[in-house]
Amino acid sequence: MRIPIRMIGITTTFFWIFLIAFFVSAVYSAKDLHFDFDEPQMHITADDKILFSLPLTITNKGFYSLSKLNLTTQILDAENSIIASGTSFIPIIKRDEAANVTHNVTIDFDELLQHDENFLFNDTELEIYEMVSMVIADLIPIQASTNYCMPWGAPLYNFTLGQQHYEAANSTYIRVNLPINFENHAFFDVAGNIKIKMYNHASLLLGEGQIFMDVPQQSFYNGVVEFYILRSEITDNGYFSVSISTSLFNYENWVIPYGE
Amino acid sequence: MTFKALKATVKGILFYAVYLILWMFLAPLSELILGFHQMVETFVVVYIILIIVGEVTSGTIFKHFFDAAKALFVICYLILSLNGGIFGISYQNLSLIVDLRPLIAIVTLLSLLGFAKSVFQAINFLNEKAERFQI
Repeated sequence: MRIPIRMIGITTTFFWIFLIAFFVSAVYSAKDLHFDFDEPQMHITADDKILFSLPLTITNKGFYSLSKLNLTTQILDAENSIIASGTSFIPIIKRDEAANVTHNVTIDFDELLQHDENFLFNDTELEIYEMVSMVIADLIPIQASTNYCMPWGAPLYNFTLGQQHYEAANSTYIRVNLPINFENHAFFDVAGNIKIKMYNHASLLLGEGQIFMDVPQQSFYNGVVEFYILRSEITDNGYFSVSISTSLFNYENWVIPYGE
Repeated sequence: MTFKALKATVKGILFYAVYLILWMFLAPLSELILGFHQMVETFVVVYIILIIVGEVTSGTIFKHFFDAAKALFVICYLILSLNGGIFGISYQNLSLIVDLRPLIAIVTLLSLLGFAKSVFQAINFLNEKAERFQI
């Protein structure tokens, strides 16, 4: 009985030494693992979507390889609802190797507006949730997560219709001049059409006009829409229906009352 | 008895020396994880006490009891202190979760092997004692 007991003793001692050496070296080598996050950027893609990209360099100078590296980004609104998410996966980063990856998340502006139209008119903050998971030395799964805020500039900040001016065009028609102004706080240029329809208090369409706009980022827009209406149909109050159409987004039938 | 005490002291000192060497590699972890140093030190202290008591009681059935206790202590302490193997820490708005379950499974298996060895040793001890008594 003594020999089998001794064999068990030798075997367990051997495995203990191996396990402790492995664990200590794995922990020690984790300090030689470097994640370099560059500045997150936002672009507009060729198919008119917003691309959030995060360039990342992972350098593995440790003793063991990294496997199943998964980077997930979720973009959340103020109510913590997920607006968009993206995942990047690297199967393996061997020791003494570095991996460069650009982690991308695509946001469809139209979907964003369906989620909350305040993104069009109000500056806010987007919450970015980042999660990195990996397996060190093919045995120890690790998951790290963080969140930070990114400012969101509204493309139609403070969009207002000014007081309409009536000018007599002839005995039947009146020319309406309607001032429009807003500030483009977004990181992209806003180019497209603003279409205005004017209705009287009986919801009868009086007339419509449109104007082309090309507003560079971080600039102020001031324009006037001109259109003609029948003198006989005009009332003291009613409403304008505003439709904004750009390559990035479409926003239709926004009702703004007048004469109240 | 003096020899046993001397042997126990040497074993205890050796174990502590190994701990000090290994700690040099694990020290950066203690800056990240609050209470990690204390957790490891408590483990080392209890383990050294069990080593010393086991050595002092060598030649008796109690040595095997303490050896078995040592093996069970390793399993219980690791599972309890590492929260079942899912180890999480938070620093500012960064949270880190380390899944040590595969490692704990290996440690548990090795400790169970150690526990089995202690049981065999106890059986063998009683067996040899009975044989000597018969002779």
